[in-house]
Amino acid sequence: MSNTRHPHPNGEPRASQSDGRPGRNFNVVVLRQDGPGRPSYWERHIVEYEQDMNCISVLQKIAANARTADGRKVAPVAWDCNCLEEVCGACTMVINGRVRQACTALVDRLLQDNPEQIELRPMRKFPVIRDLMVDRSRMFNTLKKLKAWVPVDSYLDMGPGPRQSQENQQMAYVLSKCMSCGCCLEACPQYLKIELERKEGETEEEFHARERELHDRAFIGAMGIAAVDLFNTNPVGRMTATERLDALVAEGGIQICGNAQNCVKVCPKEIPLTTSIARAGRAATVHMLKRWFDR
Amino acid sequence: MPAIRIENWERFLVSILGPSSPFGQHDFIIRRIHSLVGLVPIGAYLIFHLATNAAIIDGVAAYQHRADQIHRLGPTTIFVLEWLFIFLPILFHGMIGMLIVARGERNVANYPYGGNVRYTLQRWTGAIAFVFILWHVFHMHGWIRAEWWISGVASRFGGHRFDPENAYSAAEAIRASWLIIVLYAIGVLASVYHLANGIWTMGITWGVWTSPHAQQWAKIPCLTFGLLLGFLGLGSLYAMVAAEPPQTLVAPDTANIPPAIHASPRS
Ligand code: SF4
Ligand code: SF4
Ligand code: FES
Repeated sequence: MSNTRHPHPNGEPRASQSDGRPGRNFNVVVLRQDGPGRPSYWERHIVEYEQDMNCISVLQKIAANARTADGRKVAPVAWDCNCLEEVCGACTMVINGRVRQACTALVDRLLQDNPEQIELRPMRKFPVIRDLMVDRSRMFNTLKKLKAWVPVDSYLDMGPGPRQSQENQQMAYVLSKCMSCGCCLEACPQYLKIELERKEGETEEEFHARERELHDRAFIGAMGIAAVDLFNTNPVGRMTATERLDALVAEGGIQICGNAQNCVKVCPKEIPLTTSIARAGRAATVHMLKRWFDR
Repeated sequence: MPAIRIENWERFLVSILGPSSPFGQHDFIIRRIHSLVGLVPIGAYLIFHLATNAAIIDGVAAYQHRADQIHRLGPTTIFVLEWLFIFLPILFHGMIGMLIVARGERNVANYPYGGNVRYTLQRWTGAIAFVFILWHVFHMHGWIRAEWWISGVASRFGGHRFDPENAYSAAEAIRASWLIIVLYAIGVLASVYHLANGIWTMGITWGVWTSPHAQQWAKIPCLTFGLLLGFLGLGSLYAMVAAEPPQTLVAPDTANIPPAIHASPRS
């Protein structure tokens, strides 16, 4: 954070009791940012404890109160959420240093680990839109680059598709649970942030085209590799496997993975990402040899 | 906060190296060659090198014998072999490796998992081993065998200390200072870790062990291999430090020659 104005606001008043017992208050520090490319800054809020809170209800309280710990009136903290049951991934943020979904981050547990305070910051690998909201369009661009779909567009009735083995189905089901939350990318030491600034006089389209080009050249990450694995094992998807493998070994492809295996540890959907990475690595090896000898 | 530094560093690197890989379109093939070269010839040579050095455990005479066997190939053959199969691959692997290190971040503080620790160590040991090898080749070999270089530069800066005719010179060069002994211990251990863990990650990269169970299982042979090689390396280092000077140099056979014959030409 080159532009963090000050680290944790140590001098500011803290909640008097923060042991998380009912009826007590606790501290929440939020890394805020007023807009894309703006400097970020820490802000402390005091939240009244209630039973069974999660980080989304904490943020709702902060928004309703819109006052810092020292009583300053501020704009409500912005964040994203949707399903509230860990299936959409919209509320992903870094809580106490670890990336996860805010809707399933329970306050009781967090206060058990650290009774002092709860620390919320936006994901570091994506450009911040505002406060805890980030722009994850790079993930969508990655899926487009990898052709992460099954091509069945047709006006003709092509009859029933090929059958899948039970084993294949089970594997595909696990992989298809990915909700594009980005946890695996946030924790990956090989996945680096890309943030572009809009040039003067550049139209929205030009800006996005420039961004897309950069996204296409940067690391696809564990989520992208698992998507290739998923669609290349699907009996219909397999028909376009070569195109996906080409994208898999292109610039920013699987080769960037350094096998730190953080991705599989942080994935909330428990997707066997490192298995996919190894399987895709094997496919990439075979693909490379084929391309060499079939020239 | 360390996180602050990392992000600045990243931004700086992205600004000079571009947003993705420094190898552009050839990224995949370059990294796969980098991976392969780490095993053959570099890894294979490391095993050979530590195994031949281990001859010092059997004594200086055995060690000299081993050196003689290798150097019987003759200077030209050795020159070609060492550049083709040792120096160039190491320079390639090391330089590409440094770029790879620069293109990743260290985040063990927030994600302290075993895999992440091994990943981070792989980068550290790679960097340490590379710097160590650059110096080690200079220290023992001198890099360039030209006379002007050896007498003008290498010898003057403590390089070119190994003389194959007198293999004991390696032991002398190492025990010259405790600092050199420590540097060698660190260098050997870093290289061995980097190879053993590198073989494990290679198995994933190339798709040899794919399931979590297979990856778990593969750790056992890699760990065993690393420990054995590490012991071998440190054992040889210890033997280098403890080696007795060869008898021939101290008393060049004069004891066996009858004084009368020895004295006759002078009188
Ligand atoms: S693979 Fe897991 S961590 Fe990664 S985006 Fe999908 S659900 Fe999230
Ligand atoms: S295994 Fe690869 S993709 Fe997963 S966290 Fe490590 S480097 Fe990233
Ligand atoms: S709101 Fe959907 S995952 Fe949290």
